[in-house]
Amino acid sequence: MTPMERLSAVATGKPVDRLPVFCNLLDQGARALGMGIEEYYRSGASVAEAQLRMQRRWGHDNVWALFYVGKEAELLGCRKMVFAEDGPPNVGEWVIRTPEDIHRLQVPTDLADHPAFAETLRCARLLRAEVGGKVPICVYVTSSVTLPAILMGMEAWLGLLLTGPAELRDELLAKCSALVQAEIAAYRAAGADIILYSIPFASPDFLPERLCRSLALPWAARDLAPGGLAGIVYYVGTARMEGMAAEARRQIGVEAFYPSPRDDLRRLRAELGPSPLVAGVLNDIELVRWEPDRIRAEVKALVDALDGGPALFGTMLMPLAVPERSIAVMLEAAYACARRERA
Amino acid sequence: MLEATQDYFEAIHDTDRTGALRAVDEALARGLRPEDVLFQVVLPAIERIRGPEGQACASSLAQQYMAAVIAAELTERMVPLFRSAPAVSCRVVMGNSRGDFHGLGRRIVVGCLRAMLMEVVDLGLNVAPEAFVDAAVSSGARVIGISSMMDHTARGEGGCRAVRRLLQERGLEGTIRLAVGGAPYRFDPEMYRAVGADVWAPDGLSAGQLIARLARGEAA
Repeated sequence: MTPMERLSAVATGKPVDRLPVFCNLLDQGARALGMGIEEYYRSGASVAEAQLRMQRRWGHDNVWALFYVGKEAELLGCRKMVFAEDGPPNVGEWVIRTPEDIHRLQVPTDLADHPAFAETLRCARLLRAEVGGKVPICVYVTSSVTLPAILMGMEAWLGLLLTGPAELRDELLAKCSALVQAEIAAYRAAGADIILYSIPFASPDFLPERLCRSLALPWAARDLAPGGLAGIVYYVGTARMEGMAAEARRQIGVEAFYPSPRDDLRRLRAELGPSPLVAGVLNDIELVRWEPDRIRAEVKALVDALDGGPALFGTMLMPLAVPERSIAVMLEAAYACARRERA
Repeated sequence: MLEATQDYFEAIHDTDRTGALRAVDEALARGLRPEDVLFQVVLPAIERIRGPEGQACASSLAQQYMAAVIAAELTERMVPLFRSAPAVSCRVVMGNSRGDFHGLGRRIVVGCLRAMLMEVVDLGLNVAPEAFVDAAVSSGARVIGISSMMDHTARGEGGCRAVRRLLQERGLEGTIRLAVGGAPYRFDPEMYRAVGADVWAPDGLSAGQLIARLARGEAA
């Protein structure tokens, strides 16, 4: 089976040779091409080439048209990224410093020709040309309720979100939601199959449940309504979604979930019921120091916990510090367990 | 329990800043002493939001943030009104490791420490290892707290590892303790040893309590 056939079969309850295995290798692409991270992320062709090279090398079931999360701040005017050589870059300036900045914020409605998005879309198109229809092409979109954290800083956003003024908060959320909708449309047009929709602010780890229900999830529904839910995977960052996942499904209608390694998969499955697709996500921060036997045991425990409905094996955003030999052991174990469990 | 204690806690729990400040103002109007506002209203709310020691904090980040930031604000308001100036027991240096621009967790820790009447030298974001050590030496701090939200800023050479090395080089290891916190440590509770820290905490309020104990010279 091709990775796309495997994923489609799992999602529709048909037989598969093994569970899909998603391995989220991003910054590793720079090493694969022998480049520095800043140079690497200047070119959509580089990112596409590295994604293809890594997928061929490791055999996992996805590729990414993802540069770094701060790209979305660039779409709204951020001109400074702080690059590192051992990890992803950070936003280096806040687009929003005053309430007037929110009023002035201009949201591009058509991203197809936006200079800050050109390389990302180029990457997606190159991936589509090479592996479209065979390997799921993944993209990452930050939800409207989370995006302000990279535009004004987490503390300022939390302050506005919690204490208002509500009109200003909603003005910002409406603009962010418009960007999310435009991103999703542009990504789909460029060939994206999987849209990882990131909404940490809908996790009870971030906000009290009352605000998850009454604020975060209604904005999520608004973000996703125009484009529909095809390929949308619900993700609350590395925070836990337990306790709010069923509510997300009810309010948004989403049917695929990418939880945190800190979620209890059996409790999550019980909360969601048998039909949604649920990923089992390995703790790839601990993976940095695990020895091979521990890796195999952790992978097996994770796959064992995926019974009860459609599932895939996945990683978080693999740190560069994960040794290559550990990636190899993890993937070999995942392929073996996923096959054995489905045999 | 004072009526204000419960009202204030409920407001913090609901992330209702206005309600929290109103509870305090009403208590003061009823004659509650500023000392009691801090020690019987504000600090107990932090402990309740934090939850039982030894267990994971069940409160959301927003609730922790609200508890810590309002606590720091009220401490600044109340302390000048105390009948006698409280002794500032200990000093702590706080900052985000070099290359780290995620300040929320640090702000929670700093707010919590200030409400416990610790003197905090807050170096902010993206702090060089030398700056941590220099600030600790010049201020006489007993603890350096380093916050990191990304794997590479926690584990890399711009963070705790380098601070530990500097403490060794300058013969300060017995004098200054190192505490770390942030998301990567929560995903790998053993990471603090690998980077040379003495202790770690899984959330901002726990970190505040832990660092306060370290600064007082108590066992962590």
